[in-house]
Amino acid sequence: MSYALTTLWHERQRYLTAILAVAFCALLGSVQFGLLLGLFSITSMPVDNSRADIWLGAPKVLGVDLGRPIRESQALARLASHPDIERVEGFLQGFSYWARKDGGQELCMVVGSRLEPGSMGRNTALERYPELAEALTEPGTVVFDESDKEKLGVQKAGDEAEVAGTRVRVVGFVKGAKGLAAPFVFCSLTTARPLLRCFPGQITYALGKVKKGASPEDVVASLRRQYAPAPPKADPLASKDMGALSIQTESQKEAAEENALGQDSQAELSIFTSAEFSRRTRVHWLTKTKGGFALGYAAVLGLMVGAVVTSQTLYSATAASIKEFAVLKAMGIPRWRVSLHVMTLAAWVGIIGIVVAIPAVFSLAAVAEMWGVQMKLEAWLLITVSVVTLFMAIGAGLFALRSLRGVEPALLLR
Amino acid sequence: MIQEGTAFSERVWGSDPILQGLHLVRAFGDGGALSRAVDDVSLEVHRGQFVLMMGPSGSGKSTLLAMLSGLLRPDEGRVVCMGEDIWSLNDKEREQFRLDHCGFVFQGYNLFPSLTAREQIELVARWGQGATNAEARDMADALLIRLNLIDKAHLRPAQLSGGEKQRVAIGRALVKAPDLLFADEPTSALDWAHGEEVVKMLRELAKDNGTTVVCVTHDHRLVPFADRLIDLEDGRLKRQSYGFHGVTDQIGHPMQEPGEIQPAIPAKPTLRFRATP
Repeated sequence: MSYALTTLWHERQRYLTAILAVAFCALLGSVQFGLLLGLFSITSMPVDNSRADIWLGAPKVLGVDLGRPIRESQALARLASHPDIERVEGFLQGFSYWARKDGGQELCMVVGSRLEPGSMGRNTALERYPELAEALTEPGTVVFDESDKEKLGVQKAGDEAEVAGTRVRVVGFVKGAKGLAAPFVFCSLTTARPLLRCFPGQITYALGKVKKGASPEDVVASLRRQYAPAPPKADPLASKDMGALSIQTESQKEAAEENALGQDSQAELSIFTSAEFSRRTRVHWLTKTKGGFALGYAAVLGLMVGAVVTSQTLYSATAASIKEFAVLKAMGIPRWRVSLHVMTLAAWVGIIGIVVAIPAVFSLAAVAEMWGVQMKLEAWLLITVSVVTLFMAIGAGLFALRSLRGVEPALLLR
Repeated sequence: MIQEGTAFSERVWGSDPILQGLHLVRAFGDGGALSRAVDDVSLEVHRGQFVLMMGPSGSGKSTLLAMLSGLLRPDEGRVVCMGEDIWSLNDKEREQFRLDHCGFVFQGYNLFPSLTAREQIELVARWGQGATNAEARDMADALLIRLNLIDKAHLRPAQLSGGEKQRVAIGRALVKAPDLLFADEPTSALDWAHGEEVVKMLRELAKDNGTTVVCVTHDHRLVPFADRLIDLEDGRLKRQSYGFHGVTDQIGHPMQEPGEIQPAIPAKPTLRFRATP
């Protein structure tokens, strides 16, 4: 075993503080960013929980919840025209208002899709409830996450409500489909149109499935090249006065203004792979709400605290062995050897701290899951946090090297 | 009377000293508080000698040792070691010189608390001489056998007695087979039984390796083991003398000066020396 590990083991009580500080850093960073990713992954849930490979929508769409109406026949035809596309279908999503029985109104996110098994747009949350998927084929029926019952003023399946002035009947509840800004309300395409005040012939997105062996990325690239911007012309179907719901976000208003100026938005569609669209949605929410910065700030502060505690512990531990290091220096052992030993100690403190943190992170994620809070602990996140924490520990070791400046062998002589 | 540079000493130790201190001066403090810890001291040490530097507290012995060993720069004077003026070297060169030629034993053992006896010695072999793990282990074990500590090779300092700890420190100092071993009060923290054991071992191992030992002590019980005594007082060289311990002629007969009574080497230290003024 290396001298650094031997020292750590036999003086573990001395180094425990530093190890726990490192573990705390890794834990805090993983939990903060895991919560952030979990939180904002809710926004991309319709994409992540679909079976589509490709999403085609209105120009410059920023996220799946910010789509605008597009011509169904044209969008589906353009997508289907690619030789590597196996099948296409329409998808509707948008904000609407849910009128509660007590008279209040709640914002909701209506998600309308085809519902037969294997359809691309059907949310996988419905997989566990085949009877509900069957029930939703009846026009005017909806389901939503059971945690949103109170918010939407619904007690039980069978209760009725109004969405955008259209009566709906709640046929059941699902789990694991909670919304972020507003509850997701799942229904069929037929039901969704009046709830979103879309005209027949309009959809929000065209979904495409690529043939086996084909690459979605290549198909998207090819479609993007194909639908280069065309000369501006007015397209009444894509203008803002199509009777679309009055709820518009800023981005939707921008696009509508562009249409009013005469740009043909249908000629420049947004085309993404599912993974791309999912990431785009989440990044938009992350940057729009500044949530990432807030949690990032907290994680950085945690890192600084960990760095201070770790460096002080390593400094004290090194200073405690100053006489032993002085003997080595007297005997001509080069200073870099001793410095390397201290840095190795610091690196091992970092590694052990990270190893201690990992099970704690997953335990906390499980506890959060029990409370309905999703923590997304993706491999890249854990690796990034581990690397940053390790660098912090090594940086603390550099600070501890200051104690070696006091190594004066002559002082050992009485 | 035995004097330095006489035919006798040259016959015994050879004419070229391995270590010379020439008009060494070292002062501490400044202004009115300036005090000369070492005041114009010159001495020579020959290869293979076991030299004791003795004197009361504050006599400058440790300061002199620090200057001779390249740890403390003298204010004046030179130190020539193995033909090298060590204080004309830069810090890195002097560090390399110590690595190549010097070993140290200090009063406080200064062993790493988490390393075993074997690892304390291996550390110097690996870090100082670039030995591989296997080589360092072999070197450490060979020394531990000589130190009668092989059964305790796996023990840490907390599990060793004072004498055992000091023997480990000696092993650590000798693993490099240095030309010079500087020891500062190696027995003062030990009772006599352990101290005698340590100094005997130090002397034997040093002799076997051809290492010259310069030892600072105020323990007169070490005198019988010395080849040479250097007495300091108030920073000045008071007296130098030779001992006869282990001194033999070319065919192994104990040496004696004509007209001098060969001193006996008793079990307890009462050896008498002829000293130069």
